[in-house]
Amino acid sequence: MKFLPLVLKNLLRKKTRSGLTIGSILLPFFVICLLGTFVAMLDADPSMGKGMFRIAVRHKVSFANVMPASHLEKIRQLPGVKAAMPFNWFGGRYVDFSAFHVFQRFAVDPAVFFDIFDASAIVQGSAEEWRADRRGLLVGEILMKKYGWTLGQKVTLKGDIWPGVYTFTIRAVYRGQSEASVFFDQKVIDEALPARAGLYTMIWLKGVDAAAAHDLIPRINALFENSTWPVRAETEKEFQNNYVALLGNVKLFFRSLTAVIAAVVLLIAANTMAMSARERVTEIAVLRAIGFSRRLLFGLLLSESALLAVFGATLGLAAFVALFPRLRAFVLYSPVAGLAAGLRLYPDVLAGAFLVTILVGVLAGLVPAIRSVQRPIATGLRLVA
Amino acid sequence: MLGIPLKYNIRNLFVRKVTTSLTVLGIGLVVAVFLCVMALGEGLTRVFTASGSDSNVLVLRQNSQSELQSGISRDQVPLILTLPGIAPDADGKPLASAELVVVLNLEKLGGGSSNVTIRGIGEKGMKLRPGLTLVEGRWFAPGKSEVVVSKSVSKRFKDCTTGQTIHFGAYRWTVVGLFDAGGTAPDSEIWTDVEGMVTDFKRGGYSSVLARTSGRAARDQFVAGLAGDARLALEGKVERKYYDDQTSTAAPIKFLGFFVGIVMAIGACFGAMNTMYAAVSARTREIATLRALGFSRLAVLASFVFESLCLALLGGIVGCFLGLLAVKLALSGVTGTTNFATFSEVVFAFRLTPQLLGTGIVFSLVMGFFGGLFPAARAAFTKITSALRQVG
Repeated sequence: MKFLPLVLKNLLRKKTRSGLTIGSILLPFFVICLLGTFVAMLDADPSMGKGMFRIAVRHKVSFANVMPASHLEKIRQLPGVKAAMPFNWFGGRYVDFSAFHVFQRFAVDPAVFFDIFDASAIVQGSAEEWRADRRGLLVGEILMKKYGWTLGQKVTLKGDIWPGVYTFTIRAVYRGQSEASVFFDQKVIDEALPARAGLYTMIWLKGVDAAAAHDLIPRINALFENSTWPVRAETEKEFQNNYVALLGNVKLFFRSLTAVIAAVVLLIAANTMAMSARERVTEIAVLRAIGFSRRLLFGLLLSESALLAVFGATLGLAAFVALFPRLRAFVLYSPVAGLAAGLRLYPDVLAGAFLVTILVGVLAGLVPAIRSVQRPIATGLRLVA
Repeated sequence: MLGIPLKYNIRNLFVRKVTTSLTVLGIGLVVAVFLCVMALGEGLTRVFTASGSDSNVLVLRQNSQSELQSGISRDQVPLILTLPGIAPDADGKPLASAELVVVLNLEKLGGGSSNVTIRGIGEKGMKLRPGLTLVEGRWFAPGKSEVVVSKSVSKRFKDCTTGQTIHFGAYRWTVVGLFDAGGTAPDSEIWTDVEGMVTDFKRGGYSSVLARTSGRAARDQFVAGLAGDARLALEGKVERKYYDDQTSTAAPIKFLGFFVGIVMAIGACFGAMNTMYAAVSARTREIATLRALGFSRLAVLASFVFESLCLALLGGIVGCFLGLLAVKLALSGVTGTTNFATFSEVVFAFRLTPQLLGTGIVFSLVMGFFGGLFPAARAAFTKITSALRQVG
């Protein structure tokens, strides 16, 4: 510890160099945090642990195929089901197909909606008002802010899978998971398209408890195995994972990127340390001559590069935490807003990035430090820079 | 104005081997990362830009973003086929194909699952897409639940090679052949005959109609005819435009490439700056001597910027080489992601084009320029007398 001032003095000797090195550690550290947070977001449970009892049922072929309403009735009658409802992907467009106007639209059953999504809280309007108005719309809070909507405002959606122009009135606003969605009554579609009434792309249900939900999945799959419309039932978490899997091997891609970035930092830091060691050959020989042990000098040199890494990582961490609200807003307002429910500052991701950076700093200083302390004193003193 | 010989800088780079190679490698890795991410985006973009023909028109239900959301009933098809503008085939019938598109959730070979488009095509469907070739087996026979699979899909999904059967509850299809569409959209699809598929899936109609038009005027006439018929509530899109509109799928990857590339480049730029500052301070007396010999400040500035550019160029070349190596060796297979417009997998390969390599070099030179500018300025403003007096 008493040598800390010496280490700091050495770092301050070349202020530009130390500053630049810290900068070249800080920026990649920021990117590593960003990539790590994104991977953690993909892994996160969208319902924050509350989705264990929820089950999504879709046609076995894919969720672009429909199932008949009779499936819903049969599922409702199974023991252990608390509530079940259609969860129909509406598709369509709001204003146009631009990324800014992308959000999810679902046709559901308002009577049981809050029995299934019981963690969602109404923040404006009320569930009763939404149920009372056949053409009422339940809107996620984030969408209200994004489009500047107000309670009672009319919202028009143009259908493609379910053709037609549908105008709804905003009756309630919720806060909770997947806030980038709107929900309305399935009966609206059934009335507008009588020929296709009672056809659902998804059915969602909730078990009375975790054990019931666990038993329900194989039972539902078996129930419709030989029907004309075979299904696949899975927990909300699995459903989300499959959705993420559609993106391709994003996690592997991001992890490889992180590894290469760490290697770049290593190169840059190692280069800096090598340069400063080279300039101090004579000085180190003098220190050895006046009695500094090899081990002590080795420790001092190594702590210099470790300290640079600590500074870089700390500043990077501060920048990341400071910019995080902006990042969150950026994701929430993008078409992948649905994923952003899990976007948080993950302490383990940040701690991991921090440790990797310190490790890189120590590794970078290793070779130059070993070479410096092993050079014989006489050679070092004789050397003319 | 007299310039300092370029040889002076190049030799200096070789004198400091370790520092030079570490800096070069640092810049090289940044360029390589940038190139790999951009090659991913480029490969995905190419699927869409190379797909579709300018003379084909895709008929969809109004307001549909893709074929998956669209639906055309059986009785609408004859009405579409009588609209003026469609080119006749050799047999006198209109050159058009009513098609059905369904996505199948298939298991991948490496674990997990993804949605793959299965497309039922009419008898003229093949003639509308001349770029397709059969690479193994034979084409499907209508009405027998036979399919042909793209070579790329067969490499990524289970049960998709010739002779195997794709099972789905009551459905089963025998794979009788593999085709290659040269990296265009059909390379992500499985094909069968449309009538068999309509029966299998108990559909009352089709997803879309693809029609060949003879020339631009005929094409516009056909599209206008569709728009003008209010009973149909359909719209026609030029096939090439339909695919071009889906290139936005690659936008997030390209954004990521630029973002990571630029942040890392600034980091590497700092590294290059460190190297150049060290080079300048080690040669203070030399620089003062050059100035004393009569070389102008500008000549010294230009000389050091040039040295930094050389350093970066070496890095750029190393980066391009590493990028090529990575794309050719480690990333040479096909990969896939989901196109959220069609909710199905797009299979594509990394694509490192000469333009991208050029961008990588320019990228490295920009790093070199900014990395060298400030150290070069310090060199140019060296005080001659005090620098010459300096010892060691």
